[in-house]
Amino acid sequence: MVAGIAVLALGVLLLLDAVGTLDLRFKLLGPVGCAAMGAILLASGLTRRQ
Amino acid sequence: MTTDDTTQQLPPESPQPRRLLRARSGRVIGGVCAGLGRYFNVDPIIFRIGAIVLAFVGGAGLLAYLAALLLIPSDDSPAAAEPSRNRWLAIVGVVVLLCVTWPFLLGGGLVLAAILVPLALLVATGVLVWWFVSGEGPGADAGDIAKRAALGIGIICLCGLIAIGGAWAAAAGGETVVAIIVIAAGVAILVGAFVRPVRFLVLPAIALALSAGAVSAAGIDLDGGVGERDYRPASVSDMRDTYELGMGELIVDLRQTELPAGDVPVRIDLGIGEARLVVPEDVCVATDARVGIGEARTFERHSDGVDVDVDELRDAPPDTTRLLVEADVGIGSLRIGHGSTNLDLDHGQIDFGRPLQDDLGRNLACDA
Repeated sequence: MVAGIAVLALGVLLLLDAVGTLDLRFKLLGPVGCAAMGAILLASGLTRRQ
Repeated sequence: MTTDDTTQQLPPESPQPRRLLRARSGRVIGGVCAGLGRYFNVDPIIFRIGAIVLAFVGGAGLLAYLAALLLIPSDDSPAAAEPSRNRWLAIVGVVVLLCVTWPFLLGGGLVLAAILVPLALLVATGVLVWWFVSGEGPGADAGDIAKRAALGIGIICLCGLIAIGGAWAAAAGGETVVAIIVIAAGVAILVGAFVRPVRFLVLPAIALALSAGAVSAAGIDLDGGVGERDYRPASVSDMRDTYELGMGELIVDLRQTELPAGDVPVRIDLGIGEARLVVPEDVCVATDARVGIGEARTFERHSDGVDVDVDELRDAPPDTTRLLVEADVGIGSLRIGHGSTNLDLDHGQIDFGRPLQDDLGRNLACDA
Protein backbone atom coordinates (compact mmCIF):
# COMPACT_ATOMS: atom_id res chain seq x y z
CA MET A 1 0.00 0.00 0.00
CA VAL A 2 2.84 2.38 0.84
CA ALA A 3 4.48 1.62 -2.51
CA GLY A 4 1.21 2.35 -4.29
CA ILE A 5 0.84 5.68 -2.52
CA ALA A 6 4.45 6.61 -3.28
CA VAL A 7 4.16 5.76 -6.98
CA LEU A 8 0.83 7.58 -7.14
CA ALA A 9 2.38 10.67 -5.56
CA LEU A 10 5.22 10.65 -8.10
CA GLY A 11 2.72 10.29 -10.94
CA VAL A 12 0.66 13.22 -9.67
CA LEU A 13 3.83 15.29 -9.39
CA LEU A 14 4.69 14.52 -13.00
CA LEU A 15 1.17 15.33 -14.14
CA LEU A 16 1.16 18.67 -12.34
CA ASP A 17 4.44 19.53 -14.04
CA ALA A 18 3.13 18.43 -17.43
CA VAL A 19 0.03 20.64 -17.20
CA GLY A 20 2.09 23.57 -15.96
CA THR A 21 0.67 23.82 -12.43
CA LEU A 22 4.06 23.00 -10.93
CA ASP A 23 7.59 23.76 -12.06
CA LEU A 24 9.41 20.55 -11.24
CA ARG A 25 13.06 21.12 -10.34
CA PHE A 26 15.74 18.87 -8.92
CA LYS A 27 15.49 20.54 -5.52
CA LEU A 28 11.93 19.23 -5.35
CA LEU A 29 12.33 15.95 -7.21
CA GLY A 30 15.38 14.90 -5.17
CA PRO A 31 13.72 14.92 -1.73
CA VAL A 32 10.41 13.59 -3.07
CA GLY A 33 12.13 10.74 -4.94
CA CYS A 34 14.28 9.84 -1.93
CA ALA A 35 11.26 9.98 0.37
CA ALA A 36 9.29 7.70 -1.95
CA MET A 37 12.10 5.16 -2.19
CA GLY A 38 12.75 5.35 1.54
CA ALA A 39 9.10 4.83 2.40
CA ILE A 40 8.86 1.83 0.07
CA LEU A 41 12.00 0.19 1.47
CA LEU A 42 10.96 0.93 5.03
CA ALA A 43 7.50 -0.51 4.54
CA SER A 44 8.94 -3.54 2.74
CA GLY A 45 11.44 -4.18 5.54
CA LEU A 46 8.87 -3.80 8.29
CA THR A 47 6.45 -6.12 6.47
CA ARG A 48 9.10 -8.84 6.23
CA ARG A 49 9.96 -8.42 9.89
CA GLN A 50 6.35 -9.01 10.87
CA MET B 1 70.54 -63.28 19.44
CA THR B 2 67.96 -64.78 17.19
CA THR B 3 66.43 -63.36 14.08
CA ASP B 4 63.19 -62.70 15.94
CA ASP B 5 65.04 -60.61 18.53
CA THR B 6 66.61 -58.45 15.83
CA THR B 7 63.21 -57.77 14.31
CA GLN B 8 61.79 -56.75 17.67
CA GLN B 9 64.64 -54.27 18.33
CA LEU B 10 64.05 -52.30 15.11
CA PRO B 11 61.96 -49.12 15.55
CA PRO B 12 58.47 -49.29 14.10
CA GLU B 13 58.41 -48.13 10.48
CA SER B 14 56.85 -44.62 10.31
CA PRO B 15 54.35 -44.06 7.47
CA GLN B 16 56.00 -42.38 4.47
CA PRO B 17 54.62 -38.80 3.97
CA ARG B 18 52.82 -38.23 0.69
CA ARG B 19 55.06 -36.37 -1.71
CA LEU B 20 54.02 -33.98 -4.42
CA LEU B 21 55.71 -35.12 -7.61
CA ARG B 22 55.27 -34.23 -11.21
CA ALA B 23 53.60 -37.16 -12.93
CA ARG B 24 55.36 -38.88 -15.77
CA SER B 25 52.21 -40.57 -16.95
CA GLY B 26 49.35 -38.39 -18.19
CA ARG B 27 51.49 -35.29 -18.51
CA VAL B 28 50.71 -32.61 -21.10
CA ILE B 29 53.75 -30.36 -20.63
CA GLY B 30 55.73 -30.94 -17.48
CA GLY B 31 53.33 -33.09 -15.50
CA VAL B 32 52.66 -30.37 -12.90
CA CYS B 33 48.86 -30.44 -13.19
CA ALA B 34 48.80 -34.21 -13.47
CA GLY B 35 50.91 -34.42 -10.32
CA LEU B 36 48.67 -31.98 -8.47
CA GLY B 37 45.62 -33.97 -9.54
CA ARG B 38 47.18 -37.17 -8.28
CA TYR B 39 48.25 -35.54 -5.02
CA PHE B 40 44.83 -34.06 -4.26
CA ASN B 41 42.98 -36.94 -5.89
CA VAL B 42 41.00 -34.73 -8.26
CA ASP B 43 40.78 -34.48 -12.01
CA PRO B 44 43.93 -32.66 -13.26
CA ILE B 45 41.86 -30.80 -15.87
CA ILE B 46 40.71 -28.49 -13.05
CA PHE B 47 44.31 -27.41 -12.42
CA ARG B 48 44.94 -27.08 -16.15
CA ILE B 49 41.96 -24.76 -16.61
CA GLY B 50 43.04 -22.74 -13.57
CA ALA B 51 46.59 -22.42 -14.89
CA ILE B 52 45.37 -21.28 -18.32
CA VAL B 53 42.99 -18.72 -16.82
CA LEU B 54 45.72 -17.36 -14.56
CA ALA B 55 48.16 -17.29 -17.46
CA PHE B 56 45.84 -14.85 -19.22
CA VAL B 57 45.48 -12.71 -16.09
CA GLY B 58 48.86 -11.05 -15.98
CA GLY B 59 50.78 -14.27 -16.49
CA ALA B 60 50.38 -15.51 -12.91
CA GLY B 61 49.50 -19.01 -14.10
CA LEU B 62 52.60 -19.16 -16.24
CA LEU B 63 54.81 -18.09 -13.37
CA ALA B 64 53.20 -20.57 -10.99
CA TYR B 65 53.66 -23.35 -13.54
CA LEU B 66 57.30 -22.49 -14.06
CA ALA B 67 57.87 -22.35 -10.32
CA ALA B 68 56.23 -25.73 -9.89
CA LEU B 69 58.31 -27.11 -12.74
CA LEU B 70 61.45 -26.00 -10.93
CA LEU B 71 60.47 -26.94 -7.39
CA ILE B 72 58.53 -30.16 -7.83
CA PRO B 73 60.63 -33.14 -8.88
CA SER B 74 59.38 -35.59 -11.45
CA ASP B 75 58.40 -39.00 -10.19
CA ASP B 76 60.94 -40.66 -12.47
CA SER B 77 63.88 -38.41 -11.60
CA PRO B 78 66.60 -39.11 -9.04
CA ALA B 79 65.49 -35.95 -7.22
CA ALA B 80 62.32 -37.77 -6.31
CA ALA B 81 64.45 -40.02 -4.19
CA GLU B 82 66.65 -37.18 -2.96
CA PRO B 83 64.36 -34.26 -2.21
CA SER B 84 67.10 -31.78 -1.23
CA ARG B 85 69.04 -32.05 -4.47
CA ASN B 86 69.14 -28.87 -6.54
CA ARG B 87 66.67 -27.26 -4.10
CA TRP B 88 68.73 -24.08 -3.77
CA LEU B 89 69.03 -23.76 -7.52
CA ALA B 90 65.27 -24.00 -7.86
CA ILE B 91 64.65 -21.39 -5.14
CA VAL B 92 67.04 -18.97 -6.82
CA GLY B 93 65.22 -19.57 -10.08
CA VAL B 94 61.85 -18.73 -8.48
CA VAL B 95 63.23 -15.54 -6.95
CA VAL B 96 64.62 -14.43 -10.32
CA LEU B 97 61.28 -15.22 -11.96
CA LEU B 98 59.42 -13.19 -9.33
CA CYS B 99 61.77 -10.23 -9.83
CA VAL B 100 61.16 -10.31 -13.57
CA THR B 101 57.42 -10.88 -13.56
CA TRP B 102 56.11 -8.94 -10.55
CA PRO B 103 54.83 -6.02 -12.68
CA PHE B 104 52.79 -8.47 -14.72
CA LEU B 105 51.50 -10.13 -11.57
CA LEU B 106 50.50 -6.77 -10.12
CA GLY B 107 48.74 -5.87 -13.36
CA GLY B 108 47.04 -9.22 -13.37
CA GLY B 109 45.80 -8.69 -9.84
CA LEU B 110 44.39 -5.32 -10.75
CA VAL B 111 42.72 -6.78 -13.82
CA LEU B 112 41.33 -9.59 -11.72
CA ALA B 113 40.02 -7.11 -9.12
CA ALA B 114 38.59 -4.87 -11.82
CA ILE B 115 36.61 -7.84 -13.12
CA LEU B 116 35.67 -9.62 -9.91
CA VAL B 117 34.68 -6.64 -7.72
CA PRO B 118 32.06 -5.23 -10.13
CA LEU B 119 30.87 -8.77 -10.80
CA ALA B 120 30.40 -9.38 -7.09
CA LEU B 121 28.58 -6.08 -6.70
CA LEU B 122 26.35 -6.93 -9.65
CA VAL B 123 25.50 -10.34 -8.19
CA ALA B 124 24.78 -8.82 -4.76
CA THR B 125 22.57 -6.15 -6.31
CA GLY B 126 20.75 -8.77 -8.36
CA VAL B 127 20.09 -10.90 -5.26
CA LEU B 128 18.86 -7.84 -3.32
CA VAL B 129 16.57 -6.74 -6.14
CA TRP B 130 15.10 -10.21 -6.46
CA TRP B 131 14.68 -10.29 -2.68
CA PHE B 132 12.79 -7.00 -2.85
CA VAL B 133 10.59 -8.05 -5.75
CA SER B 134 9.78 -11.65 -4.77
CA GLY B 135 10.39 -11.70 -1.04
CA GLU B 136 12.76 -14.68 -1.47
CA GLY B 137 15.98 -14.07 0.42
CA PRO B 138 19.38 -15.40 -0.66
CA GLY B 139 19.65 -19.17 -0.16
CA ALA B 140 22.68 -21.18 0.85
CA ASP B 141 22.92 -23.07 -2.41
CA ALA B 142 25.29 -21.49 -4.94
CA GLY B 143 23.03 -22.41 -7.84
CA ASP B 144 20.09 -20.83 -6.08
CA ILE B 145 22.06 -17.62 -5.48
CA ALA B 146 23.14 -17.53 -9.12
CA LYS B 147 19.57 -18.03 -10.29
CA ARG B 148 18.21 -15.26 -8.07
CA ALA B 149 21.06 -12.94 -9.01
CA ALA B 150 20.32 -13.54 -12.70
CA LEU B 151 16.63 -12.83 -12.19
CA GLY B 152 17.44 -9.67 -10.21
CA ILE B 153 19.89 -8.48 -12.88
CA GLY B 154 17.20 -9.13 -15.49
CA ILE B 155 14.82 -6.91 -13.54
CA ILE B 156 17.48 -4.20 -13.29
CA CYS B 157 18.00 -4.35 -17.07
CA LEU B 158 14.25 -4.19 -17.64
CA CYS B 159 13.96 -1.18 -15.32
CA GLY B 160 16.87 0.46 -17.15
CA LEU B 161 15.10 0.03 -20.47
CA ILE B 162 11.88 1.39 -19.00
CA ALA B 163 13.77 4.36 -17.55
CA ILE B 164 15.37 5.13 -20.92
CA GLY B 165 12.01 4.86 -22.64
CA GLY B 166 10.35 7.07 -20.04
CA ALA B 167 13.09 9.69 -20.25
CA TRP B 168 12.92 9.71 -24.03
CA ALA B 169 9.13 9.99 -24.01
CA ALA B 170 9.22 12.85 -21.52
CA ALA B 171 11.92 14.67 -23.51
CA ALA B 172 9.92 14.24 -26.70
CA GLY B 173 6.89 15.92 -25.16
CA GLY B 174 5.04 12.90 -23.80
CA GLU B 175 5.33 13.77 -20.13
CA THR B 176 1.55 13.72 -19.68
CA VAL B 177 1.32 10.17 -21.05
CA VAL B 178 4.16 9.01 -18.79
CA ALA B 179 2.48 10.65 -15.79
CA ILE B 180 -0.79 8.87 -16.54
CA ILE B 181 1.01 5.51 -16.86
CA VAL B 182 2.74 6.09 -13.51
CA ILE B 183 -0.55 7.05 -11.87
CA ALA B 184 -2.21 3.93 -13.31
CA ALA B 185 0.63 1.78 -11.96
CA GLY B 186 0.29 3.45 -8.56
CA VAL B 187 -3.45 2.76 -8.48
CA ALA B 188 -2.85 -0.87 -9.51
CA ILE B 189 -0.29 -1.34 -6.71
CA LEU B 190 -2.61 0.35 -4.22
CA VAL B 191 -5.61 -1.80 -5.19
CA GLY B 192 -3.38 -4.88 -5.37
CA ALA B 193 -2.45 -4.38 -1.71
CA PHE B 194 -6.03 -5.26 -0.81
CA VAL B 195 -6.79 -7.79 -3.55
CA ARG B 196 -3.63 -9.43 -4.84
CA PRO B 197 -0.15 -7.88 -4.38
CA VAL B 198 1.58 -6.81 -7.57
CA ARG B 199 5.02 -6.10 -6.18
CA PHE B 200 6.68 -6.60 -9.56
CA LEU B 201 5.14 -3.30 -10.70
CA VAL B 202 6.83 -1.18 -8.03
CA LEU B 203 10.38 -0.98 -9.38
CA PRO B 204 9.44 -0.39 -13.05
CA ALA B 205 6.97 2.30 -12.00
CA ILE B 206 9.58 4.02 -9.82
CA ALA B 207 12.15 3.81 -12.65
CA LEU B 208 9.68 5.32 -15.09
CA ALA B 209 8.61 8.09 -12.72
CA LEU B 210 12.11 9.10 -11.64
CA SER B 211 13.59 9.09 -15.14
CA ALA B 212 10.74 11.17 -16.56
CA GLY B 213 10.90 13.42 -13.50
CA ALA B 214 14.63 13.96 -13.97
CA VAL B 215 14.09 14.92 -17.60
CA SER B 216 11.34 17.35 -16.61
CA ALA B 217 13.39 18.81 -13.77
CA ALA B 218 16.32 19.39 -16.11
CA GLY B 219 13.99 20.94 -18.65
CA ILE B 220 15.21 18.70 -21.46
CA ASP B 221 13.24 19.14 -24.64
CA LEU B 222 14.41 17.25 -27.70
CA ASP B 223 12.37 19.36 -30.14
CA GLY B 224 14.62 20.94 -32.71
CA GLY B 225 16.64 17.93 -33.74
CA VAL B 226 20.17 16.75 -33.12
CA GLY B 227 23.48 18.11 -34.41
CA GLU B 228 25.24 21.44 -34.76
CA ARG B 229 23.50 24.71 -35.51
CA ASP B 230 25.34 27.92 -36.30
CA TYR B 231 23.23 31.02 -36.79
CA ARG B 232 24.68 34.37 -37.93
CA PRO B 233 21.75 36.60 -38.79
CA ALA B 234 22.50 39.77 -40.76
CA SER B 235 19.66 41.83 -39.29
CA VAL B 236 16.90 41.71 -36.73
CA SER B 237 14.42 40.56 -39.37
CA ASP B 238 16.60 37.49 -39.97
CA MET B 239 16.53 36.55 -36.32
CA ARG B 240 14.31 33.70 -35.18
CA ASP B 241 11.82 33.89 -32.36
CA THR B 242 13.47 30.89 -30.74
CA TYR B 243 16.79 29.24 -31.47
CA GLU B 244 16.01 25.66 -30.66
CA LEU B 245 18.03 22.43 -30.64
CA GLY B 246 17.33 19.08 -29.01
CA MET B 247 20.87 17.79 -28.63
CA GLY B 248 24.19 19.14 -29.83
CA GLU B 249 25.92 22.47 -30.23
CA LEU B 250 24.00 25.66 -30.81
CA ILE B 251 25.84 28.87 -31.74
CA VAL B 252 24.08 32.18 -32.21
CA ASP B 253 26.58 34.82 -33.35
CA LEU B 254 25.17 38.35 -33.43
CA ARG B 255 28.45 40.20 -33.92
CA GLN B 256 27.64 40.95 -37.57
CA THR B 257 23.94 41.61 -36.94
CA GLU B 258 22.56 45.12 -37.37
CA LEU B 259 20.78 45.67 -34.09
CA PRO B 260 18.57 48.73 -33.47
CA ALA B 261 18.54 50.70 -30.25
CA GLY B 262 16.10 49.42 -27.70
CA ASP B 263 15.08 45.97 -26.59
CA VAL B 264 15.68 42.95 -28.83
CA PRO B 265 14.46 39.60 -27.50
CA VAL B 266 16.47 36.42 -28.06
CA ARG B 267 15.26 33.05 -26.93
CA ILE B 268 17.49 29.96 -26.78
CA ASP B 269 16.14 26.51 -26.03
CA LEU B 270 18.60 23.59 -25.88
CA GLY B 271 17.92 20.09 -24.56
CA ILE B 272 21.39 18.62 -24.12
CA GLY B 273 24.69 20.16 -25.23
CA GLU B 274 26.31 23.54 -25.43
CA ALA B 275 24.69 26.83 -26.32
CA ARG B 276 26.79 29.90 -27.15
CA LEU B 277 25.51 33.39 -27.71
CA VAL B 278 28.08 35.84 -29.06
CA VAL B 279 27.10 39.49 -28.90
CA PRO B 280 28.75 42.75 -30.06
CA GLU B 281 30.64 44.72 -27.46
CA ASP B 282 28.33 47.76 -27.74
CA VAL B 283 25.25 45.74 -26.77
CA CYS B 284 23.85 45.42 -23.26
CA VAL B 285 22.67 41.94 -22.33
CA ALA B 286 19.91 41.18 -19.83
CA THR B 287 19.76 37.47 -19.11
CA ASP B 288 17.08 35.24 -17.70
CA ALA B 289 18.45 31.72 -18.04
CA ARG B 290 18.05 28.32 -16.54
CA VAL B 291 20.35 25.31 -16.78
CA GLY B 292 19.04 22.02 -15.37
CA ILE B 293 22.42 20.35 -14.89
CA GLY B 294 25.63 22.00 -16.01
CA GLU B 295 27.10 25.47 -16.12
CA ALA B 296 26.14 28.95 -17.15
CA ARG B 297 28.79 31.52 -18.04
CA THR B 298 27.55 34.99 -18.74
CA PHE B 299 30.46 37.38 -19.20
CA GLU B 300 32.40 37.36 -15.96
CA ARG B 301 29.78 35.44 -14.03
CA HIS B 302 30.01 31.67 -13.70
CA SER B 303 27.55 29.28 -12.07
CA ASP B 304 27.38 25.53 -12.23
CA GLY B 305 25.66 22.59 -10.61
CA VAL B 306 22.03 21.54 -10.54
CA ASP B 307 19.11 23.92 -11.09
CA VAL B 308 21.34 26.80 -12.18
CA ASP B 309 19.42 30.05 -12.51
CA VAL B 310 20.82 33.22 -14.03
CA ASP B 311 18.80 36.35 -13.47
CA GLU B 312 20.63 39.45 -14.65
CA LEU B 313 18.10 42.07 -15.60
CA ARG B 314 20.28 45.00 -16.61
CA ASP B 315 19.18 48.41 -17.89
CA ALA B 316 20.73 50.07 -20.91
CA PRO B 317 21.18 53.74 -21.92
CA PRO B 318 18.44 55.03 -24.28
CA ASP B 319 20.53 54.89 -27.46
CA THR B 320 21.90 51.40 -26.77
CA THR B 321 20.67 48.00 -27.86
CA ARG B 322 19.58 45.76 -25.03
CA LEU B 323 19.34 42.04 -25.74
CA LEU B 324 16.70 40.37 -23.61
CA VAL B 325 18.07 36.83 -23.50
CA GLU B 326 15.82 34.07 -22.32
CA ALA B 327 17.62 30.73 -22.30
CA ASP B 328 16.74 27.24 -21.20
CA VAL B 329 19.37 24.48 -21.28
CA GLY B 330 18.54 21.01 -19.96
CA ILE B 331 21.95 19.42 -19.50
CA GLY B 332 25.13 21.14 -20.66
CA SER B 333 26.45 24.65 -20.75
CA LEU B 334 25.32 28.10 -21.69
CA ARG B 335 27.86 30.76 -22.63
CA ILE B 336 27.04 34.35 -23.32
CA GLY B 337 29.75 36.87 -24.13
CA HIS B 338 31.52 39.06 -26.60
CA GLY B 339 33.83 36.35 -27.80
CA SER B 340 36.93 34.50 -26.78
CA THR B 341 39.27 31.85 -28.08
CA ASN B 342 36.62 29.25 -27.48
CA LEU B 343 33.87 31.28 -29.09
CA ASP B 344 35.85 32.44 -32.11
CA LEU B 345 36.02 29.08 -33.76
CA ASP B 346 35.10 30.46 -37.14
CA HIS B 347 34.77 27.59 -39.58
CA GLY B 348 37.28 25.60 -37.61
CA GLN B 349 39.85 28.39 -37.55
CA ILE B 350 41.03 29.33 -34.07
CA ASP B 351 41.82 33.00 -33.50
CA PHE B 352 45.32 32.62 -32.14
CA GLY B 353 45.58 36.38 -31.64
CA ARG B 354 43.39 36.14 -28.60
CA PRO B 355 44.64 34.89 -25.26
CA LEU B 356 44.25 31.18 -24.62
CA GLN B 357 41.59 31.52 -21.97
CA ASP B 358 37.85 31.41 -21.87
CA ASP B 359 37.36 35.16 -21.58
CA LEU B 360 33.81 36.17 -22.44
CA GLY B 361 34.43 39.86 -21.90
CA ARG B 362 32.40 42.20 -19.72
CA ASN B 363 28.86 43.48 -20.05
CA LEU B 364 29.98 47.12 -20.14
CA ALA B 365 27.30 48.56 -22.45
CA CYS B 366 24.68 48.40 -19.69
CA ASP B 367 24.10 51.14 -17.13
CA ALA B 368 26.40 50.97 -14.16
